[in-house]
Amino acid sequence: MAGMKTASGDYIDSSWELRVFVGEEDPEAESVTLRVTGESHIGGVLLKIVEQINRKQDWSDHAIWWEQKRQWLLQTHWTLDKYGILADARLFFGPQHRPVILRLPNRRALRLRASFSQPLFQAVAAICRLLSIRHPEELSLLRAPEKKEKKKKEKEPEEELYDLSKVVLAGGVAPALFRGMPAHFSDSAQTEACYHMLSRPQPPPDPLLLQRLPRPSSLSDKTQLHSRWLDSSRCLMQQGIKAGDVLWLRFKYYSFFDLDPKTDPVRLTQLYEQARWDLLLEEIDCTEEEMMVFAALQYHINKLSQSGEVGEPAGTDPGLDDLDAALSNLEVKLEGSAPTDVLDSLTTIPELKDYLRIFRPRKLTLKGYRQHWVVFKETTLSYYKSQDEAPGDPIQQLNLKGCEVVPDVNVSGQKFCIKLLVPSPEGMSEIYLRCQDEQQYARWMAGCRLASKGRTMADSSYASEVQAILAFLSLQRTGGGGPGNHPQGPDASAEGLNPYGLVAPRFQRKFKAKQLTPRILEAHQNVAQLSLAEAQLRFIQAWQSLPDFGISYVMVRFKGSRKDEILGIANNRLIRIDLAVGDVVKTWRFSNMRQWNVNWDIRQVAIEFDEHINVAFSCVSASCRIVHEYIGGYIFLSTRERARGEELDEDLFLQLTGGHEAF
Amino acid sequence: MGESSEDIDQMFSTLLGEMDLLTQSLGVDTLPPPDPNPPRAEFNYSVGFKDLNESLNALEDQDLEALMADLVADISEAEQRTIQAQKESSQNQHHSASLQASNVSGAAPLGHGTNVAATGISQYEDDLPPPPADPVLDLPLPPPPPEPLSQEEEEAQAKADKIKLALEKLKEAKVKKLVVKVHMDDNSTKSLMVDERQLARDVLDNLFEKTHCDCNVDWCLYEIYPELQIERFFEDHENVVEVLSDWTRDTENKVLFLQKEEKYAVFKNPQNFYLDNRGKKESKETNEKMNAKNKESLLEESFCGTSIIVPELEGALYLKEDGKKSWKRRYFLLRASGIYYVPKGKTKTSRDLACFIQFENVNIYYGTQHKMKYKAPTDYCFVLKHPQIQKESQYIKYLCCDDARTLNQWVMGIRIAKYGKTLYDNYQRAVAKAGLASRWTNLGTVNAAAPAQPSTGPINGTAQPNGQMPQAAHFVTAVLQEAQTHPETSKNSYVSHLISSQPETQVIIETTGLIFYPVNQPTFMQLRKGKLSRIRSQPSGTTRSQEYPGPAGPQVQPAPPRPVQRSWDTRGSPAMPPKAKGTGSGGFLVLPDDFLPPQPPPPPSPLDDPELPPPPPSRRGRQEASYAPPCQQARGINVHKQQMNKINE
Repeated sequence: MAGMKTASGDYIDSSWELRVFVGEEDPEAESVTLRVTGESHIGGVLLKIVEQINRKQDWSDHAIWWEQKRQWLLQTHWTLDKYGILADARLFFGPQHRPVILRLPNRRALRLRASFSQPLFQAVAAICRLLSIRHPEELSLLRAPEKKEKKKKEKEPEEELYDLSKVVLAGGVAPALFRGMPAHFSDSAQTEACYHMLSRPQPPPDPLLLQRLPRPSSLSDKTQLHSRWLDSSRCLMQQGIKAGDVLWLRFKYYSFFDLDPKTDPVRLTQLYEQARWDLLLEEIDCTEEEMMVFAALQYHINKLSQSGEVGEPAGTDPGLDDLDAALSNLEVKLEGSAPTDVLDSLTTIPELKDYLRIFRPRKLTLKGYRQHWVVFKETTLSYYKSQDEAPGDPIQQLNLKGCEVVPDVNVSGQKFCIKLLVPSPEGMSEIYLRCQDEQQYARWMAGCRLASKGRTMADSSYASEVQAILAFLSLQRTGGGGPGNHPQGPDASAEGLNPYGLVAPRFQRKFKAKQLTPRILEAHQNVAQLSLAEAQLRFIQAWQSLPDFGISYVMVRFKGSRKDEILGIANNRLIRIDLAVGDVVKTWRFSNMRQWNVNWDIRQVAIEFDEHINVAFSCVSASCRIVHEYIGGYIFLSTRERARGEELDEDLFLQLTGGHEAF
Repeated sequence: MGESSEDIDQMFSTLLGEMDLLTQSLGVDTLPPPDPNPPRAEFNYSVGFKDLNESLNALEDQDLEALMADLVADISEAEQRTIQAQKESSQNQHHSASLQASNVSGAAPLGHGTNVAATGISQYEDDLPPPPADPVLDLPLPPPPPEPLSQEEEEAQAKADKIKLALEKLKEAKVKKLVVKVHMDDNSTKSLMVDERQLARDVLDNLFEKTHCDCNVDWCLYEIYPELQIERFFEDHENVVEVLSDWTRDTENKVLFLQKEEKYAVFKNPQNFYLDNRGKKESKETNEKMNAKNKESLLEESFCGTSIIVPELEGALYLKEDGKKSWKRRYFLLRASGIYYVPKGKTKTSRDLACFIQFENVNIYYGTQHKMKYKAPTDYCFVLKHPQIQKESQYIKYLCCDDARTLNQWVMGIRIAKYGKTLYDNYQRAVAKAGLASRWTNLGTVNAAAPAQPSTGPINGTAQPNGQMPQAAHFVTAVLQEAQTHPETSKNSYVSHLISSQPETQVIIETTGLIFYPVNQPTFMQLRKGKLSRIRSQPSGTTRSQEYPGPAGPQVQPAPPRPVQRSWDTRGSPAMPPKAKGTGSGGFLVLPDDFLPPQPPPPPSPLDDPELPPPPPSRRGRQEASYAPPCQQARGINVHKQQMNKINE
């Protein structure tokens, strides 16, 4: 034992004094002084420290951090000599798990305890387990960007900070479900709210805020984000993160394995949120048409999540629907009436008849709208000069199956037009129907929509379609006043839509709200039947099919080149992109890659592909570690197999992405 | 059963032949669209085909003759009706509709499959006069349907069930059927009965049975519009009747049955579509050489992810301006959401693109001889139009490519964008079908006891509901699913024979199955559809399914011999389970759905070396490190030093 001394008080063994600070890295911290020898085991030292502090407390999470070496002394059976610790070592006895504030993909802040001593890969895995996100290997942490806007500090305290720091997760077992959520969330109302925040999509952001947020204006701006990734093979402590720091949790690798709406509510939602913010902040570009689909999906998702229809509403087979409706109908009839009536009722399909104004654009005619008696039955629209002539031959009859229905509505101008583009063997015929008021418009519009899909007004979705149209019209009345006139207050959030919150700011500049709303509505009719999870999945799929999806940009300088270029890293390939023009110069696929080398001295990455193609570049915007981790990470992700389930080959990951910490 | 069905089938084909003659005598090729104009009625020789199958099951042999009599009656009746219908005017439309309804009501709620042959007479639309009274008089009469229901308080459940049944019958009775004349590649024609629930796949299967062809995946139904000089293949999941009903009455359009290798070209050589580097000849050559495994992983990457990947395609094409004769060159880009072009003076970044067309409401066609017809710059044209448009119109979009390769890329790219994963599912079904056929022929020679020849089997699969396509993860399951969906409705489909009456086949399947589970097989066994198809055809040892571009030879081990290959399975990654679960019907070996590795194993080489990249060098002062994809460590190390020198220079 260290600390043997003679009667006179001199130490006779080779022991020396070791000073250990208690607490997190704080020079003022209290300290204890121990008598140790080089042969003392870390475990023994820990015991002595606890004895000396002499305080009743759970010390199990505490460990010693060696400040100079930036290293945890976690091997309790190692001796001080083995670690090379001498008396001048500055050691801190502190907790391994410390609170951090995570900024989630949905931009909400969450306080939780993260491991400061394990490699980041494991720390992220633990965080994801707590949040119940499967496949943590796809996520990682970023440093929060330096805050420039210190002035706006007043705004931040308003934000709700969710707290999971007190939740402790039993190790090993997968968290059981309790009341529809992982059991550890159901402890208190607070954690329950937290789970809802995690698993339900957030309402659209305030358009004004959206405009203020920084957006990348060029490819080189897009490289900025990627310089902030933390190193997955080192622990948070080693990377200079302190307790209470803000970190971003993001999906880093765009290769989403086995996405399952049933088992992954949180993962799906967070992925959806990341995709949405990517689009809203113009991290990824899309066309106008695509943006409208994204906006419609967001609107739909928001509507569903606010009305609490998280389960599986709608989306049943329309055919069955039909049958069921007819069935109940039939049943009622059967009670009293004769069978012929029954069959009549079965075959009778509700029809619309009314005077509408019709306009048929033709070449060389200047005729305007004319009043006609219009009968809409099944999927066929017929119009007559007047009601009296209705039994005779119509002026024209159009089968709306497969037609295009475009709303042309201006609520404030009391204009309710339906533009129909009806296919026929000769081509498309255009026809405009002008309705008198919202009610009429909604009924006819809903009928046209169903007919274009080959369904009749007997379809069970007719009523809801009418309601949806009316709801949208009322939105236009409130939200469509014009730019800058945004609806405010609780009323607005109930209404659910300000089109500016759903599209990227460049579309806000391009279109007026009242121009956007009908286009979003038009796109919405194609997605209106989706359930929440389906809609989110659809959103993610549409995001994935964008050509620029999943490319992480890094600025590099290729060997032999005199100018900086962009290297795009995707899940299956590397792309060399011209910095100025943005054109793809060359693509290399990982499947042809033989090996890659990193020279940490000169910060160069060299890659060899099949057929002796060699590529070497040095990294400019981010460290070459980040490029290296991206490549290794994607190779790792491609080795995943369903058979292996969720267990991770962490060693393989670290081998493929690590390697530099030795220096 | 087998024999009787054969008889029926023969009789039926004769009948069909007769009907065919009739059609020809009327001088029209195919069936007109269901326009409300009455004269269409002339092609209504629809006989309760599906119902026939059902009744066959129920009737056993006894009433076949009666049935045949009915059928003949139906035909003559149909003749009469055509004549009658031509005289009818549209006035009686309402009348006939209601009459028809009540007429159907008489027979529909019977709940007996036995005498539905009559109700199966499909009314083309409401425009037909009501058919004469129920001709099936010699069959047992149905109990009067609604009475027991309205009589007393029965269980609500039972009532609902009966009503449901009745409604289903009603629906069935309304099934629309067409006789379609299909032009074969040898200029002959065949007439087929197609009911409105049949997909192109089902029709192809019928044709396979009728023609004894090799059933390979290139066979397709092909529609030709002589007037517009455009043509395209039916996608396997398309509803044939729906497509045909868009044709006008006096149409010259034709349906062909022929082989087109373009149909599934992307699945045979995905690299030509996904990795094409235009303008580089050498890369083209290397592309041709791409090995089967890389193709597979490319396909998997493109079609099996959360969302499919549409090939990156962009370039200048000629566009025929609306209603004009001139062609303008524009820069087009293909995206999953549609075709876009770069407006004048803009760049090709996403935000500047203008939408040219989206795919929801259009089909894609090849244009033939448009150089002549429209003065196109080349003959490599494709056309986008709404399926209902049949005549020249400004709504038809004509585009023209510089060469055939570009044309094929665009057409395939657009199909991928439009149909997505369905295309891949179709392909897998087609491969399954082709494989099944080739095995069948083998079995036919080996196992003479096979009761029914597929070629003479009746039209099968008629009851396959729309859209119920087995999402076959692979081959064997696809076949099984197919087989399982059939037995209730068409007992004599030969697929079900494989299951129900041929233990020999099962054994063979099992043994082939066992080949897949050698106990000591390596972890990364590249078990894919290719292998399956290969082994499935093994029993005969003579034919192999030709479609799959996999390497030949029966060996399971895909790894080419390599010097460094050692200790395959030492790393604890879970190998394919050596035990196979026999959960399928009839003791079939069903591979679990998750059996196939969903992600491509690490890049090119099948060599899975357990000692992954070198552990990071721990000595200080060595400032470089080398990494290789997991499977390639051997090569990686060898090159390593050299490489480093190169870099350090």
